[in-house]
Amino acid sequence: MAKIFSRYGDGTPLELDEKELMEELHAGTEDAADRAKVSTLTDDDLKHLYEILASPYKFVSVEPGKEVLLTYDAGTLKIRRVGVNVDRIQALQIYEKIMGADTMELCHVDYSYKPLKPIVTMEQPILEQALLSTHIPLFYGAMPNLGLYSQPDGPFPNPAELLPNGKIKEARESLEQTVEEAVRDIVFAGSAMYESGADGINLDSVGAAGDADFLASLMATKKLKEKYPDICIEIGMAGEFILGMHGELEFEGTRLAGLYAHDQVRLAAQAGATIFGPVVNTNTTETSAWNLARAITFMKACGEVAEIPIHPNMGMGVGAVPVNDHPPIDSVSRASAAMTSLVRLDGL
Amino acid sequence: MAITHAHASGMGGMRGAGDLVARVQMSKGMRTWEAKQYVADKLGVAVAELTDPVIMTEVREDMNIGQITPLPGCAKGIEAKFNIQKALDIQINCVDRFRKRAAI
Amino acid sequence: MISPEIIEEAKQMLVDQNKAKVEEITKKVIADGGDPLELMNQAYIPGINKVGDLFGRGELFLPELMQAADVMKIATDLVNDALATGSNVAAKKAGRVVIATVKGDVHDIGKCIVVSLMKANGFEVYDLGRDIDVDTIIQKADEVNADVIGTSALLTTTMKEQKVLEEALKSAGMRDRFLTMVGGAPVTPRWAARIGADAYAEDAQDGVNKVKELIAQK
Repeated sequence: MAKIFSRYGDGTPLELDEKELMEELHAGTEDAADRAKVSTLTDDDLKHLYEILASPYKFVSVEPGKEVLLTYDAGTLKIRRVGVNVDRIQALQIYEKIMGADTMELCHVDYSYKPLKPIVTMEQPILEQALLSTHIPLFYGAMPNLGLYSQPDGPFPNPAELLPNGKIKEARESLEQTVEEAVRDIVFAGSAMYESGADGINLDSVGAAGDADFLASLMATKKLKEKYPDICIEIGMAGEFILGMHGELEFEGTRLAGLYAHDQVRLAAQAGATIFGPVVNTNTTETSAWNLARAITFMKACGEVAEIPIHPNMGMGVGAVPVNDHPPIDSVSRASAAMTSLVRLDGL
Repeated sequence: MAITHAHASGMGGMRGAGDLVARVQMSKGMRTWEAKQYVADKLGVAVAELTDPVIMTEVREDMNIGQITPLPGCAKGIEAKFNIQKALDIQINCVDRFRKRAAI
Repeated sequence: MISPEIIEEAKQMLVDQNKAKVEEITKKVIADGGDPLELMNQAYIPGINKVGDLFGRGELFLPELMQAADVMKIATDLVNDALATGSNVAAKKAGRVVIATVKGDVHDIGKCIVVSLMKANGFEVYDLGRDIDVDTIIQKADEVNADVIGTSALLTTTMKEQKVLEEALKSAGMRDRFLTMVGGAPVTPRWAARIGADAYAEDAQDGVNKVKELIAQK
């Protein structure tokens, strides 16, 4: 039986035969369906996915006409991380003119709303200058990053230390206090950047610090939307389900802990977000086929219920893209093409 | 990785009309397929042509809405965005702010 | 032999974090002449594994995980007390783990989850915190005679500290004394193999499973 080149979730190459590839696809979709209580992919979906993965070509793409928006987060950081010493406005111009970006994001190296607060008036003129010389829509973005509000980085006791010691009540109280502070900071910085002319405000890696992180993002979104009805806000997630650090936090009557993408998107829309960026983590010990079938199953369920545009995250280690600093073209193009052709999505 | 996505499934940004479709989505909350149709109607092209760099370069030049390779005297940056706002009939935050700050 | 109904109830009560009920069942089984080790192996260990699985699926949350850990500790103490030898059999089986987030990295939420789940599984955990240099990690492992050293790194820029640890253990002639396990968002099986770590943990539950396997093979 012919062997098909594939990879593991960490990029390590492997070969599968036709039967093994199909078995991986079935196992991946079943895992997602079981976890998120959603439908598995249909036979037609799996057949299409199989064809993409079994393609003998190095690069696979969507059919012409089925392209979607490509949004970049943190691009002004990433270009400097690889040692290209350009300033942030130059980075935006490079992404706009050379990288094929449909939107871009200006961000600060700390990439969190809290440290942005004392330097916001220094960030505003940079955004204002960038807006004069660029053409594509510009977001200003950062992470809610509630971890920065607990000791030793912030004023409140650290839930990550309290919880393993069984201090549940104290951890919950601390998390509730961090939510209030984070909402204040996000609204403060988001307002400043919107008033400087940003096309959108991006809340990135939401939920990285658990359910309190998601709650703060939803509350801040709601406040910003009330303050500026025309504002565009994107909520991009950190992981596939909301980690219950607190466990009992609710947004307008819905418990947040444990929610998967198809439930998260409803709340994002309810809070007033314009675009939602769901995430599925790549499992490094499973195959690309398993990961891709799994990711598409979660995303398909999300796309079916979404009433706002969704841009699934397809960066390193998410959306079946391998966990590697330099994900291979074969894996990324297959993931990109498969996600775009099988999910009712709006962008990546 | 970014370039791989751009080639595999992206709209191409300013090489096509990706930035314009994104603007409509961000401004009006439209899904991408609706925003594509909206932009195509406003530009007078077919939806399939929105990602064709040959056609879109000409359209962008004719409408003066910003090009990858700027020509002498063409609208660039905020100037182009004034024209995009008019062509697409959408709100662009920085254009409105510019107008207010420049008292025009 | 303990009846399947009692085993199932004991397991479920642990998953439900019902401290009073677990205590009652355990005491009754022991008083009725049941084998406490059977209760541990058939009810409580599968129960705490289920807790880990539910946590990994987003169906049970950190506070509940910690409550389950508390209940597990009570069950373990009662079982140990009842064992004829009087020795701490369950705790000995679990092992001793030193854990830290590596130097230069201040992310501790992932590590917090691993520590919580390891404690729930009866491991003796020494959590050194975050931004911990290699010398401190080795010193603590030596001091407590750890079975396993677990390190977490959330950034591609801090992963290299896991390699530094492997090299430092070799230089000190201590590599064979400790088993090493690595984890964190950018960390992969490929990286673990490349630096010579003994195990890679995909997530917290996988970390617990891997530590159990490593110690069993020791």
